[in-house]
Amino acid sequence: MSAGVFAIHAKPGRHTTLVLSWFLFVAGVSLYFYTSGARHRENPEDRVTPTVAQMAAGMRDAVLRPAEDDEPLAEGASLMETIRHSMLWKDTRATGLRFIYSMALLFPAVLVGLHMGLFPYVGAFLLRFVLFFDKIIALSLLPILFIAFGIDELSKVMLIVIGVTPTILLDTFNLTRGVPGEQVVKAFTLGASDFDVAYRVVLKQIWPRVLNSIRLNLKAIMLFLFAGEMIASTDGLAYRIALLRRHMGMDVIIPYVLWVALLLFLVDFSMRWINRKLHPWFHEA
Amino acid sequence: MALIDIANIRVAYGDPPKPVLDGINLQFEEGEFICLLGQTGCGKSTLLRLLLGSEQPCGGRVLIDGREHHQPDRTRGYVPQKYSLFPDKTVLDNITFGAECSEFGLFQCFTPRYFRRRREFRAQAMDYLLRIGLRETDAAKYPDQLSGGMQQRVAIAQALLTRPRILLMDEAFSALDPGTRRGMQRLIRDLWQETGTTIVFVTHNTHEALFLGSRVIVLAKETPDSGSRVAIDLHLPDACDEDEIPSLVRRLERVSHNLPETEDAIHAVR
Repeated sequence: MSAGVFAIHAKPGRHTTLVLSWFLFVAGVSLYFYTSGARHRENPEDRVTPTVAQMAAGMRDAVLRPAEDDEPLAEGASLMETIRHSMLWKDTRATGLRFIYSMALLFPAVLVGLHMGLFPYVGAFLLRFVLFFDKIIALSLLPILFIAFGIDELSKVMLIVIGVTPTILLDTFNLTRGVPGEQVVKAFTLGASDFDVAYRVVLKQIWPRVLNSIRLNLKAIMLFLFAGEMIASTDGLAYRIALLRRHMGMDVIIPYVLWVALLLFLVDFSMRWINRKLHPWFHEA
Repeated sequence: MALIDIANIRVAYGDPPKPVLDGINLQFEEGEFICLLGQTGCGKSTLLRLLLGSEQPCGGRVLIDGREHHQPDRTRGYVPQKYSLFPDKTVLDNITFGAECSEFGLFQCFTPRYFRRRREFRAQAMDYLLRIGLRETDAAKYPDQLSGGMQQRVAIAQALLTRPRILLMDEAFSALDPGTRRGMQRLIRDLWQETGTTIVFVTHNTHEALFLGSRVIVLAKETPDSGSRVAIDLHLPDACDEDEIPSLVRRLERVSHNLPETEDAIHAVR
């Protein structure tokens, strides 16, 4: 008897898997265009569900027209120059820079987590505080951050750092504690010093898992970044979405949301690829 | 003076403290192959960890070359049963790890001298690799690409390359199949005879202890709630009389309550 849909041992074929995995995408897009068509038949001025043509026009403006705060481009400017002065490029660049700063600031968190897990005095000093800090809802600190750091870049980056750092720190701490004690003892018997053990043995072993942990927290990083940009910013993808919301600019908001999803997917994909290339042993384990 | 002097060692775990080792007194001489034998939970591995310095006793002291050691260091090599290799390093990098760490600190790994010496370490490690029965093509493999026996061979080479005076092995062959285990026993005995390193080998297998050791020490508890003591301390002659072996096995096993008596098996081992 062939296995049913809810059988644990069922083995769907290649084509079935392909169809099933794309079904919800197709259904979602179809449903959207059906609704959009119906609403536009009722009201040709509808702005809640823009048509493909409206979204394409909106995106063309975002990509090919200079940002509103920019000088008008000279006649005959090249396509690359046009894109570099466009709203989408400027917003992506602003958000991307904030994202890179935040990612860079996570590296010290990894090192602190490593030391907390390996050195008992550092662990005793920091663990309780980090556990407490982890329970604070980062968004609730937003007003305090704006008062303390102003509404410039620092407050937005700090929001991401405060929101994500404790998670990465505790993840690294747990990963460090998970390295078998035999390996640490073995390293000492081979002549390693305390810092050799930390950086040549433990950090190298946990690094691919730490990268995975950061990868899984990408969405949280973007969430805090978007919150900061939506509330206090003059550029950035989230700022633009918040701004266009006031004008019901769904023809740009929807492509912007898809653009952000695509960027996040590419970052995730790149991190997975780099992890696989840098640590072949990790994927073979 | 004995190389290792274990004086009136006491270890207890838990609350209220449950004794594990109770008044152990032993002296190990340089060049001995000591097998620590006993039932599971009798404190063999605890005694090994005390020798390593990764654990401290509640009472008594362990002197190595007349000094107390409170942390593992390169005077004592270590081969555990599991996790004996670093998974992120290739076989060759695993073997050279000790030599590199001993000679070059964390921030000295970018000097030209480091890269010169590294080539020498790798050549030396390659020699070891061939001596322990692995092939050149295995050098670039990661530990998870090797069988259990091959991993333990590499672990032994890794420990011996730094030339420790004492090699501590904690049930190092117990996860291997009988055929591989026999090969590993021969290898470690040959290496011991060749290098003269003092080896302390923890096992619960009487046959293995008798095959490997120049001295077999049995730890046993008098009652279930008491700590283990040295029940037998047996110095084995180089050429043991074949007729004595069955009674020897019976005696060791009776004391350690370890394995069923199988005289044929011990004859085969010897």
